[in-house]
Amino acid sequence: MFRNLRNWCYGTLALVFVAGSFTSQAQGEALFKAKCASCHQPHKNGTGPKLFQARKKWADGGAKDGSIYQWVNNWQVAAASDPYAQTVSTWSPTAMSAFPELKKEEIDAILDWVDAQPEPGAAAADGTAPADGAAPTDAAAEEEEGLGWIWIILGVIFFTIILAVGGVRRQLNIASADANGEDVKEGMTYGEEFKTWAWKNRLYVGLGSLVIVISVIVTLFLSLYRIGVVEDYQPSQPIAFPHAIHTGVNGIDCKYCHSSVTKSKSAGIPSVNVCMNCHKQVNGRTPAQQEQIAKIYDAAGWDPSGAGKYIGKVKPIVWNKVHVLPDHVYFNHSQHVVVGGVDCKQCHGDMTKQVEAVKVQPVSELNKIEGNIPLTKPTMTMGWCIECHAAKEISTGALDSKKSGYYDEIHRRLLQNKKAKALYGQYLEDGIVSVSELGGWECAKCHY
Amino acid sequence: MTRKYWKGLEELKETPEFLKSKEQEFPSQMSVEEFLSDENLIETSTARRDFLKFLGFSVAAATVAACEAPVTKVIPYVNKPEDVTPGMPTWYASTYYDGQSYASILVKTREGRPIYIKGNKDFGIVNGGTNAQIIASVLGLYDSARLQGPTYNGSETTWKQLDSAVMSGLKSAKKMTIVTNTIISPSMKAAVDQLALAIGATPENGKLNHIQYDAVSYAGMRLANKENFGAEIIPSYDFAKAKTIVSVGADFLTSWLMPTAFATQYGTRRNPDGDWMSKHFQFESIMSVTGSNADYRGMIKPSEQANVLSYILKAFNVSTGVSTTLSADAAKVADAAVKALKASKGESIVVAGSNNKSVQMLANKLNNVLGAYGVTINLNEKVNLFKSEDAKMNAFVKDVIGGKASDAVLFLGVNPVYTLSNGKAFGEALKQVKLSVSFSSHADETAVNCKYISPDHHALESWADYNPTTSHFAVAQPTIRPLFDTKSALETMLVWAGKANRSGKDSKVAHEFIRTTWETSPALVSAPGIADKTNFWNLAVHNSCITAPQAPDATPLVFTDAKIGSVPSASGLEVVLYQKAGIGIGAQANNPWLQELPDPMTKVTWDNYITMNPSEMEKGGYVTTYDQEHGLNLATVTVGGASVTLPVYPLPGQAPGTVGIALGYGRGENGEAIGKAAFQTKEYGGHAASEDGKLIPIGANVFRFVQNENGTMAYEVSGSIKKTEGTYSIAATQIHHTVMGRHSIVRETTLDTYTNKDKEAYNPAHMLQKLDKDGNHVERPVSEFDLWDAHPVEKIGHRWGMTIDLSSCIGCGSCLIACQSENNVPVVGKDEVRRGREMHWLRIDRYFASEEEAAVGTRKDAETFSYDEAENAALNPKVVHMPMLCHHCNHAPCETVCPVAATTHSNEGLNQMAYNRCIGTRYCANNCPYKVRRFNWFNYPSYKKFTEVNPAQDDLGRMVLNPDVTVRTRGVMEKCSFCVQRIQAGKLVAKKESRPVMDGDFASACVDACPTNAITVGDWNDLKSMVRSSADDKRSYQALEEVGVRPNIWYKVKVRNEKNDVLDALQVAEGHHAAKGHGNNKKHH
Repeated sequence: MFRNLRNWCYGTLALVFVAGSFTSQAQGEALFKAKCASCHQPHKNGTGPKLFQARKKWADGGAKDGSIYQWVNNWQVAAASDPYAQTVSTWSPTAMSAFPELKKEEIDAILDWVDAQPEPGAAAADGTAPADGAAPTDAAAEEEEGLGWIWIILGVIFFTIILAVGGVRRQLNIASADANGEDVKEGMTYGEEFKTWAWKNRLYVGLGSLVIVISVIVTLFLSLYRIGVVEDYQPSQPIAFPHAIHTGVNGIDCKYCHSSVTKSKSAGIPSVNVCMNCHKQVNGRTPAQQEQIAKIYDAAGWDPSGAGKYIGKVKPIVWNKVHVLPDHVYFNHSQHVVVGGVDCKQCHGDMTKQVEAVKVQPVSELNKIEGNIPLTKPTMTMGWCIECHAAKEISTGALDSKKSGYYDEIHRRLLQNKKAKALYGQYLEDGIVSVSELGGWECAKCHY
Repeated sequence: MTRKYWKGLEELKETPEFLKSKEQEFPSQMSVEEFLSDENLIETSTARRDFLKFLGFSVAAATVAACEAPVTKVIPYVNKPEDVTPGMPTWYASTYYDGQSYASILVKTREGRPIYIKGNKDFGIVNGGTNAQIIASVLGLYDSARLQGPTYNGSETTWKQLDSAVMSGLKSAKKMTIVTNTIISPSMKAAVDQLALAIGATPENGKLNHIQYDAVSYAGMRLANKENFGAEIIPSYDFAKAKTIVSVGADFLTSWLMPTAFATQYGTRRNPDGDWMSKHFQFESIMSVTGSNADYRGMIKPSEQANVLSYILKAFNVSTGVSTTLSADAAKVADAAVKALKASKGESIVVAGSNNKSVQMLANKLNNVLGAYGVTINLNEKVNLFKSEDAKMNAFVKDVIGGKASDAVLFLGVNPVYTLSNGKAFGEALKQVKLSVSFSSHADETAVNCKYISPDHHALESWADYNPTTSHFAVAQPTIRPLFDTKSALETMLVWAGKANRSGKDSKVAHEFIRTTWETSPALVSAPGIADKTNFWNLAVHNSCITAPQAPDATPLVFTDAKIGSVPSASGLEVVLYQKAGIGIGAQANNPWLQELPDPMTKVTWDNYITMNPSEMEKGGYVTTYDQEHGLNLATVTVGGASVTLPVYPLPGQAPGTVGIALGYGRGENGEAIGKAAFQTKEYGGHAASEDGKLIPIGANVFRFVQNENGTMAYEVSGSIKKTEGTYSIAATQIHHTVMGRHSIVRETTLDTYTNKDKEAYNPAHMLQKLDKDGNHVERPVSEFDLWDAHPVEKIGHRWGMTIDLSSCIGCGSCLIACQSENNVPVVGKDEVRRGREMHWLRIDRYFASEEEAAVGTRKDAETFSYDEAENAALNPKVVHMPMLCHHCNHAPCETVCPVAATTHSNEGLNQMAYNRCIGTRYCANNCPYKVRRFNWFNYPSYKKFTEVNPAQDDLGRMVLNPDVTVRTRGVMEKCSFCVQRIQAGKLVAKKESRPVMDGDFASACVDACPTNAITVGDWNDLKSMVRSSADDKRSYQALEEVGVRPNIWYKVKVRNEKNDVLDALQVAEGHHAAKGHGNNKKHH
């Protein structure tokens, strides 16, 4: 809470300073994350040098006017013409990629945003803290399980007490009846006694049993529906990987590591060479971080001490899969991300806050994500998929508003005959064409 | 009079068994006697109490298991290769050559695993043509019977030991022999030369004897060309340029010379809508795939091949000195051929299948008379395949058997112990040779008799280069890192020649050597047309091939007449040894996909047999009908000193006085470890074993029948047949899935009718009667009748449709194998096929057609039918091949009967199957008019009955499965999905590129595989699509249209370029009736 407040304060301060260029800052942040964040950080040297007040540094260093922009577009051109740029080009270990597509204003927007970033300090320290506690545990689950046992034990004790008290009462009754000289019903067992009692109160017993039977059946069905539901599933991982630091603090775009998300059905777990792009330099500040990062070095066969070379044998990292689909389900990430324009967090939750190992976010958490359609069925169930497919729009309004050659054609075809046109009208009754209306509920879209 | 189509003699004769079985979609019952007589039954019994225990336990176990989700591991790459994206296929252009088939191919890999092969339609001389064997070869990569390292006398050794032993052996050898199949690899030739150099061999000292030996030889052809052209060449043939094709015993669509190329060429000219349609005459003894596609087919004995050629030559006033005697029927066909040849002079092709020099010389002579050389036959572009040196090989074999062999023998790409007629003796004698090495990937018949086996990579693991024809150069590139500790044969040769060193699995030796060979080869670097002299290698690897036009022969080859020697003569029974589309010469006998591929003509799986004309069989007392309980009679065929006992199969169209037996069977006679699927299995799983514990091969090896006639191998030989005791159960798909006598399935016409008559004559719309508003009976097209509301698929989104051109379909079976490979279709084994439980999603129905003299409404039955009475057509019937798969009906009868809505319709017109919903009632299959639904009777990937046949049962074999398609489990229905995984992928490409789906975004596996492009798929709602124009064509019709199920598959009327008065009369009559409004209701039975 305090941290958020402080961030908010910083943000406000920054706003005051750069009030005029707020929109360009937002653009700057987006561009930074997409283009720069994989190598550069605002306040820390990584694969590339820190970018905080880079323009000032270049000016102070005696760089020619505008050569920094030339540098970003193509560093070789800049290095050839500017001696300062020449010195910058000696930065090891890697040469910078060329970004000829970035315009001067865009570079300014990026650097404006970088310059507006607060100095590291407490914030960074905060960011590292979760890494220490990142070792995932099933503590919550264990706790819950433990409680279950307590309830059972308590129940048994309670039942024993009832039986004991009942026995005492019975003995007392017999004794008192005996004392009063009444006829004692000898030989009447508990069972018979219960029967007599139940018969006497048959209305209540009957209603009570009905309630019990129904609730047992309902519970059974509800629990059967939970079979195979993996909501909240959080397996332990060989490396305590904190998403919060990578995508949260450092602002690396999801697609940088999960690069096949736009191309393939699987988003892909990054290969170790992707980790090494940054972790050649970044080896952690705390012992806990270093211990985790050392596992990457081990896997890559990298010798972090001394010369920094790939020496050892490579060992693939064996992760535990978090989002597991059964074999008979086909899911394609690129369909959803590229065509559907779905943001990663809409299904995976806000990873910038995920300090522990990844888990399947419960639907209640996902519903809190801004812009998400509130769903009711548990995450990763078919109900969840089709609920979204029914509500999610392919386009708001007619299909040709989607600005896609593919859907334009479908739009044209839907207008071709009366029957199809009427159908199209039905689709558009609620103002949107939903995924299910174009066949998103059909079996062979996901099962083949 | 009507034309009757029948799939088997059972159907034609309507045997009681047939009538009974056609009522059943799933003939699942076994006869009681058969069941009780099974000795294993006692072992498999389960007491009732045990059953209840199992039941209770499994319910509890299932419940518990379902609660605990297993932990799934995921292992990303350490260094991801740049061109691999997990979840996305990577394609490599490569080349296939196994000594028999040649093709330019594309290999699909997923996460580094090759899983699918298709033809490369953009590059190469075969224009994308492949065959079943090429497509199925991907399974061989994951064969666990492959040798995993070098061996010495059957036990493992190391490469180091093997190399030093072989090198010292070669050094001390006075004479060495290398036996290879035809080497069309420039680099392998160079490597052999290097080896010769290393051991000090020169052509003069003859220290090295290199013999090229093919299992099936074309030496006769080369020798004939030597006589006529002065060079032992085979020219290239272009069937696309031939208006008249005359084939005498050459099955050029599935086995003769370069069928991959010929089938595509042939296919382009079988379209009656093209500029012209070729006219095809076939003279042959067995009913081959090529013969079944011919417009005219003459039945001749092999010994009459020369007579046919001589007969035609005589008509062109050329005398040959060879007898022109022909049977009346064959002469009739030959006369028609002469007429056609005269009409299309200069644009014709004559091919002969015989390996006899004289027969080939007659064919040459005829081609010369017809002016084919330089037009349809290109003498400059020579075919480098099939350079078998029969005489040299025979001499060598004689030497080995006589103990006068070389000190060292290497075998590369050959298996002579299996393919020689005296292979057994050769194998025994081979053991005496000082140093013998085989490069075989399996411990096969020859390799087990060698001291060393130096296993070669699988073709998909290795670099190779090929020069199939004069100016065409091709590269094969590896698509996977070697699975085992095998070494490229090219590398091994170089290492033994002292030109290279071993360097592990990632060895670049072969690659570097091939590249150097190419970049220094004058044929390539100095070829006109290769613009980029330095970069052409990269281009070649990218396209898999390059064309480097060579200068024409300095002295052009000119036909010179030569005296024709003695032609084959025969006495008694003539035996034709042929190759089947699936098994070929048996190199892939261990491939269960190919073993289970129904033979295009007989539809028999898992066996070879003796084919005989049914009329002859009746005379000889053989049964001509069979079913799952009644087998066929056995007979023993003896040729020379060898004999085999096989069932006798009734094949209409087999020339009387001849029998046919397929080569390629009987692999692993001594139980050699060539792969599980090459041996017979027992009814409840496990291999069958003979009394001495040896595995029993499938079928019998008839390479033992091959005769050496005047220095060349003869595959048409004389012998005798004797009926033997007993019957043999055969697993054929022929008698299953009958179409219940609804003969509106197949439509055909003649080119004459097609071009001159209107659609009503040959492709009438199906009419039904209804009452109009005045109460009169009127005939309206079926499309106007509806029981249901139509699914909203027309004109809205996509509607996936398919057309199949029956004119182009040659029935080769490639599509079936491609489908099996793409869709993880399980192999079920012979016993299950026999019970009618094969799982193929796509089958090819083969119909025989004959004219019946019966009145409408009457049918011949078992009592009155006799082959003696039947006219010639039944002896030599016409054939129609018809691929049959799920029709994705818009009024699907299967969907309405599913109690759990497991099969439903999509708004793209697909009939979808949700396996997880299916509870296995099989109502859908029962209700399917096309009989294309398949039921999973067992858990094929794990049940012990299928261990020997189903590749998915071992860890390695599973690697070939397509990860995009679910592996179905027991108790669910499955069927063709129109490759919905590819539809989805194709749509996604279009969506990502923000454009409509276009032709080419989606092709199903069967389309990929079809060498003649008979199948078209696409979006029917796209008015510009190929499938739409094809479906709207006047030749298009829908099978069983009268049922009103509105399928999404259209067939196109088969057009034969023949003169057929009977059919013409029939169709004129029908067209006439249709025009008058009576409809063609006489087609109803």
